[in-house]
Amino acid sequence: MTDVTLQNVRKEFDGVVAVKNIDLQIPDGAFVTVVGPSGCGKSTTLRLIAGLEQATDGTIQMGNQDVTGVEPKDRDVAMVFQNYALYPHMTARRNITFGMKSAGDFSDEEIDRQVEEATAVLDIDDLLDRKPGELSGGERQRVALGRALVRDPEVFLMDEPLSNLDAKLRIKMRAELAKLHSEFGTTTIYVTHDQTEALTLGDRVVVMNDGRIQQVDSPQRLYDYPETRFVAEFIGDPAMNMLSVDISRDGTEYEAVGPTFRIPLPEGDGLETAAGAKALLGVRPESLSVADSADRSSFAAEVTVTEPLGDSLLLECRTGDQEFKLHAEPRTAVEPGDRVALTVETERLHLFDPQTGEAIYHAAAAESSERSGVPAG
Amino acid sequence: MLGSLLTALTAAVERSQAAGRTTSERIRRFETEQLTLHVLAATVVFLIVLPVLIAALVSTKRAGIVTSIGDLVPGGHALSNYRRALIGLEFWRFMLNSFVMSVAVVVGKLIVSLLAALVIVYYRFPYKNAVFLFILFTLLLPVPVRFVPLYRLTTELGMGNTFFAITVPYLASATTVFILRQHFLSIPASLVETAKVDGVGPLRFLWSVLVPMSRAVLVGVSVIMFVYTWNQYLWPLVIINAENLQVAQVGLNLLRGQASTGEVAWSMVMTGSILTLLPPLALLMLFRRQLLETFTIQQK
Repeated sequence: MTDVTLQNVRKEFDGVVAVKNIDLQIPDGAFVTVVGPSGCGKSTTLRLIAGLEQATDGTIQMGNQDVTGVEPKDRDVAMVFQNYALYPHMTARRNITFGMKSAGDFSDEEIDRQVEEATAVLDIDDLLDRKPGELSGGERQRVALGRALVRDPEVFLMDEPLSNLDAKLRIKMRAELAKLHSEFGTTTIYVTHDQTEALTLGDRVVVMNDGRIQQVDSPQRLYDYPETRFVAEFIGDPAMNMLSVDISRDGTEYEAVGPTFRIPLPEGDGLETAAGAKALLGVRPESLSVADSADRSSFAAEVTVTEPLGDSLLLECRTGDQEFKLHAEPRTAVEPGDRVALTVETERLHLFDPQTGEAIYHAAAAESSERSGVPAG
Repeated sequence: MLGSLLTALTAAVERSQAAGRTTSERIRRFETEQLTLHVLAATVVFLIVLPVLIAALVSTKRAGIVTSIGDLVPGGHALSNYRRALIGLEFWRFMLNSFVMSVAVVVGKLIVSLLAALVIVYYRFPYKNAVFLFILFTLLLPVPVRFVPLYRLTTELGMGNTFFAITVPYLASATTVFILRQHFLSIPASLVETAKVDGVGPLRFLWSVLVPMSRAVLVGVSVIMFVYTWNQYLWPLVIINAENLQVAQVGLNLLRGQASTGEVAWSMVMTGSILTLLPPLALLMLFRRQLLETFTIQQK
């Protein structure tokens, strides 16, 4: 186990910048997930840590060692790939032991013991004599995990390891990965495009976009206190609604004013500077609800689409020229075309700068923001 | 919805009736087509095989002079002809030389090409594509084109009239490098990356991963290379003087020279020809599946 630190790391491919000067600190024994849309640089970041790509600029440290130019084999990392990367002509056992035997760091007894241990944990001990072609997707990924486990590396690197599995198996393997981590406690860096995976697995989630780190935080804080509009819209499904508003001030009272609504904003940091300017009001779909009767803070909207999800009813609505989604109570009697009155849970509102996308205000007072991914200074 | 479907169906039926095609008629048409195709294919195959067939027939006769169709009846001298060619005239020695030369060239080519393809696919170095293009460029300079300089080089090295002279010039093969490169590129990059992270060295990766994963391609390429080398005539004729080092294709000519009466002993020549055909034929039959696989990979 070891910690991993990236300082000002930059990667260019033929003039295209894939990773733009990122700083990231991964504590010893943490399970860190890196999430973002495709092309955001998350896989490149992982490959930089693995040593499969060399950084154009910046340094990568593991423990107290600078590993920036070090060969992958000398970094003591193990990597699990999306397509399992099993050698098709070797049995599962040979696949697991091939790397160990090549590295020559292990005695035969050690190898046998490690294989026995790892395969028992992964429940693949009876599959060892089969070739990858005779295994299902889930079994193959277990073998690939076994191969990583037996090497007992300092850091596990996982590049979308569950993406090729079907939905049910993915959820099952997700739970097993979490269990494995709590059992072995090895520092794990896990890249995924799936926010559910990122939130459920990571102690810490790194959100990346366009080669930059947008935010590093615990899953719940990422959801509750997004630092940028990108994070707000990327985390959560359906995405946070963004309504363009003007911030008006009346004494100590603030309001977000849209063409068809006025929503009071609880007092909080950032409101004073935002007053009198345009902003984007971020409202999660579950913070909106259909009101029984109209009152001061409610506003009217037209339902355009209804999607019954079973445990809730997803409504797509329009007010003025702005569209948004909300979770209504299941079995609410509304049809597309109906006009409904909506109320807002004002403690869960966010304001973002329309130009920069930076968060300027969260209605719920945040405990001191812990951007622990970025080293102090 | 249903209405439009019905209209479409009726239209289709009317169309097919207008064309006068009932089911039985269509079957008959299909059968005629098939028959024509088969006859055509059989004719073409017959034309291609005909010279070999005649050679085989002649090799069973005493003199082997064919002047009329009637001369193409199988003769009764097959056994004695083949025994005389192989043992009496020592044609086995030429065959053995050809075999050793071909095997050596195939093995050497595979080693050189595997290493070249490994470097071209898995290593990063400046002007990599230019290097590969240069290798492809050598396709424009096959051995016959290089005869004169190659001859000088070989003799000046003192290697004329040796086994070295008929093997080494054939070892570099752009075709094999190209085929292997294409195959390696079809192997997922994550396999080599896993190997890198696990500390598997390049030669071990080549031997334990790439070679087993390329078995069919290697066999296919080897068969092609074997047949190519086996059929070499001009270069061995030029560079080899010693009769005991000569290869089968040139040896055929020596069989003709054995005619004591001044006439060409055609039956002997044909016997030799059939004998030289056998090893490539056996290989092609044995490994036809891998050969086909090699070429389907090329089409991808």
